Amino acid sequence: MLGARIELVNVTKQYETPLGDGVAALRNVSLTIRKGEYIGVLGMNGSGKSTLARLLNGLIKPTEGKVYVNGLSTDKPANLTEIRRSVGMLFQNPDNQLVCPVVEEEIAFGLENLGLPLPEIRRRIEWALYVCGLEDKRYHAPHLLSGGQKQMVALASVLAMLPEYLVLDEPTSMLDPISRRNLIAQLQVANKEEGVTVIFISHNPEDLIQADRLIVLEQGSVYMDGTPRDVFLSEEIRNLELGRPAVYQLIGELEASGLTVPSNVKSIDELVGYICLRL
Amino acid sequence: MKLGQYVHGDSVIHALDPRTKIICCTLAVVSVMISVNVYYLLVLLSLMLAVVMVSRLNLGFILKCIYRIKALLLVTLLCQGLLTHGQPVIIIGGLALTKEGLAIGAINILRLVVLFVGSLILLMTTTPIKLSTGIEALMSPLRRLNIPVQNLTTILGISFRFLPTVFEEATIVKNAQRSRGAQFDSPRIMVKIKSYAAIVIPLFNASLTRAADLGEAMDSRCYNPHPNLLRLGSLKMQGRDFTALTIAAVLFLVAVATTIYPM
Repeated sequence: MLGARIELVNVTKQYETPLGDGVAALRNVSLTIRKGEYIGVLGMNGSGKSTLARLLNGLIKPTEGKVYVNGLSTDKPANLTEIRRSVGMLFQNPDNQLVCPVVEEEIAFGLENLGLPLPEIRRRIEWALYVCGLEDKRYHAPHLLSGGQKQMVALASVLAMLPEYLVLDEPTSMLDPISRRNLIAQLQVANKEEGVTVIFISHNPEDLIQADRLIVLEQGSVYMDGTPRDVFLSEEIRNLELGRPAVYQLIGELEASGLTVPSNVKSIDELVGYICLRL
Repeated sequence: MKLGQYVHGDSVIHALDPRTKIICCTLAVVSVMISVNVYYLLVLLSLMLAVVMVSRLNLGFILKCIYRIKALLLVTLLCQGLLTHGQPVIIIGGLALTKEGLAIGAINILRLVVLFVGSLILLMTTTPIKLSTGIEALMSPLRRLNIPVQNLTTILGISFRFLPTVFEEATIVKNAQRSRGAQFDSPRIMVKIKSYAAIVIPLFNASLTRAADLGEAMDSRCYNPHPNLLRLGSLKMQGRDFTALTIAAVLFLVAVATTIYPM
């Protein structure tokens, strides 16, 4: 079970209802998340997405099965600090995850908890502010920033902890289109340049077109697991009524009428470029 | 801008150690409480206003804040005026405002204004996290009695952080309830109380959800209430802190002197 990856082995998670009966949010899920991957997790409400996210850094423990992060099991309390240092989490509502009244202190919060020396804390704050484009917001109060900026502060404070894995639980659902684009661009930079493994959870297929691998959850089970292209062009995805990203709708139509689109085309811009080249 | 909200600046007052500011404020409170000498109180008020200037806070804003507590000041004056025996000045329907009462009332107003300006300076020049670090440092001897000082100050810090968010949420809930017919402006007190209950319950519910989310976010970032961690706002007393403390101590001794030797 050693190695640089997250591994879920036959994981089932049941929640007790007030009436005493259990509801399974995840059923017998086995997954391997390798370092450096950019993974999208797609599913309807109630498909088990958030449960999966919380299992990955030990916020909740599986009812059955095991979750291993770099070989460490999440059910041992002694492992949790190390696991949470490696697996950063970004949540849906930026307002509810910002702890401190000043941006700089917010970024310092996690670093202080790791017990880092002060010069290192200061160095990482500078770096995180720079990476997330927040240098001029250093002394601002987070609650006075826009939703997109708040989410960027939350991202900066997670990135400053230099996580190996970054789990994002519907981080764009409260953002406007520009902030959403900025956040996604930032994640790609973190993935490609810093080598951070990204696990992006969303119910919006458009959020996930840049992923290398797409996992579709349905009623607590892995329904599909493949490249976004294979998933979105398949018949099965239509049964779920999650919708398809515009680019894959177009590719689907084009391929149905006889034009083959190469697999490296992932966005409308790239598709337009390819068609222009063919003309 | 909200009453008492931190205003970023780089003045010497901003740079003072939060412990210094808390101790100075506490000394000012005690001095104001024990001294009845009007000249002393006036000196204290002018010093406070000088500190406002040094910290480059907006004097107009401070005056506006004082104006906002006018009702409290007026009630103080009237109560003292009516309840103190002495030479009547104005008689309204069998109640007499006395000269002595008005004099004591005026001194009490002066005391309140000094206290108010002092606490505004403390709050407006100290970030909430510095404030809670300062309180934590001052309370740290209580650790020996097994009191979880770090946890208490974290709670304090989080409350500072979430007050504006909860206010914002209260406004949203209020508007939502108003759009569905809640009558916050009704002259009937029972209707009004019922309308406000319709704000409190959703607000309470939302705060619980928020607390659960925040707990997860803090756990995810390895929160650990260990008291010996280095904090970004780690405190260090400097020369200016000792100067400020000396001034506060001298003023305190003068206050003691004015009580022992009244004019």
